[in-house]
Amino acid sequence: MKVIIMGCGRVGAQLATLLDREGHSVTTLDNDAYSFRRLPPDFKGEALLGNGLDEEALKKAGIEEADAFVAVTQGDNRNVMAAQIAKHIFNVPKVVCRIYDPLRRDLYSLLGLETISPTTVFAQLLKEKLEG
Amino acid sequence: MEFLKILVPVAGTEADEEAMELACRLAKQKNGGKIVALHVISIGRSLPLDAEVEPEISKAEDILAHVESIAREHGCQIETDLLQARDVAPAIVDEAIEREVDLILLGVGYKTRYGEFCLSEVVPHVLQNAPCRVILYQQRTV
Amino acid sequence: MYIIVIGGGRLGYYLTRALLDEGHEVLLIEKSAPICQAITGEMGSVCLRGDGCETTTLASAGTGRADMLIAVTGDDEDNLVACQVAKYKFKVPRTIARIRNPKNETIFKKLGIDVTVSSTSIILEHIEHEVPSHPLMHLLTIREKGLEIVDVKIPPGSTNIGKTIKQLSLPAESILSLIIRQERKPTVPKADTILQAGDQVIAVTPPESEDALRSALIGD
Repeated sequence: MKVIIMGCGRVGAQLATLLDREGHSVTTLDNDAYSFRRLPPDFKGEALLGNGLDEEALKKAGIEEADAFVAVTQGDNRNVMAAQIAKHIFNVPKVVCRIYDPLRRDLYSLLGLETISPTTVFAQLLKEKLEG
Repeated sequence: MEFLKILVPVAGTEADEEAMELACRLAKQKNGGKIVALHVISIGRSLPLDAEVEPEISKAEDILAHVESIAREHGCQIETDLLQARDVAPAIVDEAIEREVDLILLGVGYKTRYGEFCLSEVVPHVLQNAPCRVILYQQRTV
Repeated sequence: MYIIVIGGGRLGYYLTRALLDEGHEVLLIEKSAPICQAITGEMGSVCLRGDGCETTTLASAGTGRADMLIAVTGDDEDNLVACQVAKYKFKVPRTIARIRNPKNETIFKKLGIDVTVSSTSIILEHIEHEVPSHPLMHLLTIREKGLEIVDVKIPPGSTNIGKTIKQLSLPAESILSLIIRQERKPTVPKADTILQAGDQVIAVTPPESEDALRSALIGD
């Protein structure tokens, strides 16, 4: 599977590493080269400097052949916009997007985006720990 | 110091009565001294400014009727006014300008928020923008 | 009309003032407290502090009864989300987004934003108009119909000079609607109208046929 990961923060880098070790073809995209320090030395995928909201950068990352696109930058709105470009402009089959704000997440789920809100997920996990 | 026209904003809180009584004493010091009691209904943005907001309007009328009776007991001249505005403080300042009052007597209660003393946000705006003298009357402390 | 403006930068500030002057009910939503204070001090209760992309902020702004929402922050993605939340959550009939990157125009349109305004595109259009040799000028875009009204000048050396309109191989979807001759006399082109050097041809065309139309008119 060819996967593009936008945002090479802790989560993005971790996901890239996991998928890379399983033999998937991974491209990570970040607008700060310093973020790529989080990738392990044996990372076989590609790390590209670029703005994930820019069509040219996305094409360079190979979005036209991608099977999956993941948006995990720090900005909810950046993630939402990039995910919509991947889904509606480039018709990437699998698009997942992180949205911290639970209310915004609800709206974009309704609009057909596959979304995860770490806020909701983590609060729920903590609650289960406390009750368990 | 004497005041001819005193604006007393009333919010329907405990502070209203004592503020009114103080205003009456001040008004009576001057021949022809008069009080204007004002209540501002704050209208949320989900409604147009001129919306007919019940039960707020009848509640406001009760508040104004109550302070009017206090003034009458003291034999004071009083006018009342009911306004609808987005924010309370600018409405008070505008009314003071329009009515050409020479004093705003603002009664406040002792309020806490998040466990700390909290000054109503109306107070700083009125102090900063009032066209006339302002007396801030805090009803009581804890 | 009740109009909500998102973003209190220079553009949002002047837009709010202009809309208030026109007699509209306007609310400006801005994140920064000092900017909100300054605007409230100057224009009265027309400013709400908050994030215009957040549902809760938009709810307290009464977005449900807004006739229009205009997002003019400095970030394209924020403007997109503010407009989408307004449109899909609060059913605002008309949403307008400012865009920095002109390429986002088509993306935004595809994602449901009614109108986009790009200062880059506007300046480019003006440059087109200022450069007299430019072979094709955009006069007007009819967005709902996906059509452009363009102005093509027949250059002095064109091989089309002396030809009739029906001799040109025009794209089927493009229609010539007017020819303006040098003596400023506009005529409606007919099949037998003969092209002259310096003719200004006003045509209606879908954007994808623009290039074909231009080469058909200008000739070699």
